[in-house]
Amino acid sequence: MRIEEMNLVPEMMYAGHNACPGCGAALAVRYLTKALGTNLAVVLTASCWSIITGMPPLTALKCPILHCPFPSAGSVGSGVRRGLNAKGMTDTTVVVLAGDGGTFDIGLQALSGAAQRNEDYIFVCYDNEAYMNTGMQTSSATPFGARTNTAPYPLFKEGQKKDIMQIMAAHSIPYAATATVAFPEDMEQKLKKAQEIRGFRFIHILSPCPPGWGTESADTIHLSRLAVSTGFFPLYEIINGVSWKLTCKPEGKRTPLKDYLEGQRRFKQMEDIRVEALQEEVDHDWESLMEKVETSEG
Amino acid sequence: MLPEITREEVCYACGTEPVTVNKTGEWRFLTPRRAESLSPCRQGCLLDGEIPAWMEAVKRERWDEAWQVMSRYNPFPALTGYVCFHPCTEECNRSQLDQEIEIPAVERAIGQWRLDNYSPKIKPQSFKGTVAVVGSGPAGMSCAFYLNSGGYDVSVFEREKAAGGMFALGIPEYRLPRRVLKSELTLLEDEGIKFITGCNIGKDISLAELYADFDEVFLAPGAWKSRIAGIKGEKNEGVWSALDFLKLYNSGERLKIADPVIVIGGGNAAIDSARSALRLDGVTHVTLIYRRSRAEMPAGQVEVEAAEHEGVELICNALPREINAEAGAVSSMILDHCRTDREGLFIDQSCAFNKSCGTVIMALGQEKDYSIFDNLESPAALFAGGDLVTGPATVPEAIHAGRIAAKAIMARIEGLPEPELFKAEQGAVKFEDLNLAAKGTLKLQNKQAAPFAEASRCLGCGTCNSCGICYMFCPDLAVDMVDGRYELNMDYCKGCGICFRECPSRALVMEGGR
Repeated sequence: MRIEEMNLVPEMMYAGHNACPGCGAALAVRYLTKALGTNLAVVLTASCWSIITGMPPLTALKCPILHCPFPSAGSVGSGVRRGLNAKGMTDTTVVVLAGDGGTFDIGLQALSGAAQRNEDYIFVCYDNEAYMNTGMQTSSATPFGARTNTAPYPLFKEGQKKDIMQIMAAHSIPYAATATVAFPEDMEQKLKKAQEIRGFRFIHILSPCPPGWGTESADTIHLSRLAVSTGFFPLYEIINGVSWKLTCKPEGKRTPLKDYLEGQRRFKQMEDIRVEALQEEVDHDWESLMEKVETSEG
Repeated sequence: MLPEITREEVCYACGTEPVTVNKTGEWRFLTPRRAESLSPCRQGCLLDGEIPAWMEAVKRERWDEAWQVMSRYNPFPALTGYVCFHPCTEECNRSQLDQEIEIPAVERAIGQWRLDNYSPKIKPQSFKGTVAVVGSGPAGMSCAFYLNSGGYDVSVFEREKAAGGMFALGIPEYRLPRRVLKSELTLLEDEGIKFITGCNIGKDISLAELYADFDEVFLAPGAWKSRIAGIKGEKNEGVWSALDFLKLYNSGERLKIADPVIVIGGGNAAIDSARSALRLDGVTHVTLIYRRSRAEMPAGQVEVEAAEHEGVELICNALPREINAEAGAVSSMILDHCRTDREGLFIDQSCAFNKSCGTVIMALGQEKDYSIFDNLESPAALFAGGDLVTGPATVPEAIHAGRIAAKAIMARIEGLPEPELFKAEQGAVKFEDLNLAAKGTLKLQNKQAAPFAEASRCLGCGTCNSCGICYMFCPDLAVDMVDGRYELNMDYCKGCGICFRECPSRALVMEGGR
């Protein structure tokens, strides 16, 4: 069985890290480091993971980590890559790890620059849909209708979630993909595929955050699975910015978005009209994604 | 343990320390615990067999393990795979998804593996005690098996010429191939169990003698006394009791009966007699007569359907009044219509009908025969099982009784407290409790070849089958892999509950506190 083989791969992460119970980001990085192997250098921008890995001299990963300032993830990654190349360590995989804040908002210009230069590393965004580490403030990755500490009741996040994948596709990078923690096999395949490709690669991982989303810590995987089956977070990959491919097609009809929103305190007391609006947005995005997938296939 | 990268492989020159020094288990306020619960198949099983556990072993092609697990509760899967009516499959949760698991097929496969891969064990120098078993049917065989594996010298006394009891003489060849029974009996003999056939306890040797010669005695002679109808003409030639008929039919002797045949009764013995009679030379027509409706027949529905399919004519709601004979031999039978309701049986004598017949087989049920206890002074301990105790019952019930008796006998001889029996304390795992979404993650590979295909379909309700989901989804690396099993590591478990929520089989519980 596939899952048993995956479990036999050595762990690259230590138990005892500082993530909250049920943390999706901890799980995402655990799969990531397992998939990419031991010859790995991680560039870590300010995010939850800066805390999860522990205060120096502690570390949660069995590979070097370079902490860097919030907006600089893209540039520091480029520097590390070129430095390693200069030393002849071209086979070392460089991974830049950033949260949604360090990718969608504060880190966007450095990310865009690195993508435009087609720097040779993997940029991984683990997306928990707000600035969870600093106290759950709204980011441009926060979905419409969600309540955060900067948009408390009766306010809510207005405007839709930034479509980072389209931005990355517009940079015509060799590989971009979405992944989530309920589908470790899918995530592993995408990371392995990314590792084989040279140039700028982007992986967008949806990682549920129990305290930030206001969910039961046990529901992390369940929610991640629902995000895919509702079409809220489809799993796909984009090759060279033009070829779109769906990697996990929901069986039969998509689950209504209401199922996903229920049980998340950030969507509590969301008016029906807004739920419908969000459902329409998801439907629209899904259809436009399907169009792209079909055009690429045809 | 997992292969872990050692300190030598990872550079710690800068003085970095792994976070493993943080015992994050201290954060926990809910604790997951492995607690396997009852599966519906085990709840249905008359032998309390750990069905999901041996299914899992077969799935992984660990035949030896499958046999070890199986034989804890059922020493004769090759036989029960054929003759048991498998209430386990009726309860199967999988039926709510697509179709229930074909449990007997896997059971037979384990039994066949055992028969094919058996090698005699080294005979012990000394025994813990000697035990006589009266009757070599399912209960006697089972008791002998467990006593023998426990290191006892066992002698089995059988009144018929061949060992096997109900297996050999009550169940026809088409339901249980004789080669399987023969292999099973040979295997028991190779294990060191002595079979003394043609020895009628109570006639050839008295029961008191057995009690004097052996440490303990287990009585499982069965219930071989046929009930009689008490109608006119039943003493004539051509009237058989079902047991006598089946005994003669199954002993392999050439049997000749006159056509057409009428079988009276609705139990398994009736169906077996009807189907066996149809297989005899010269028999073209067999009619089965039962006093109640078809749905009320005690025989298994599958058996009834099979009999009909083979051409047995079924007449329900009819009762024999008398049997007519010509020159001492049966010629016809007068029958009344009857109906039953809550208040009893109503015979309608106004429209009796006649049915010609050459043979009548009475399958009206068996009775317990206590004549074996005649002239017996009460022994210190009496162990008995099988049909003698329960009245006519099923093979698995008899095997179960034999196992329990063996445990009790061993405890008595060794001076140990009475053995604890498996007791279902909670209800079985329901279909809704299973996390089938995680099953999707497992992507069970259905190997096409039986029995793997069937075993792979097993959902493993309530049983940890080391699928690895808890390990895979633990964000805190608090699940360890120990010898292929998964163990929760309480040093690091933060109590998030993902393992509990995601476990596909409901083999974990969450408890309050640390």
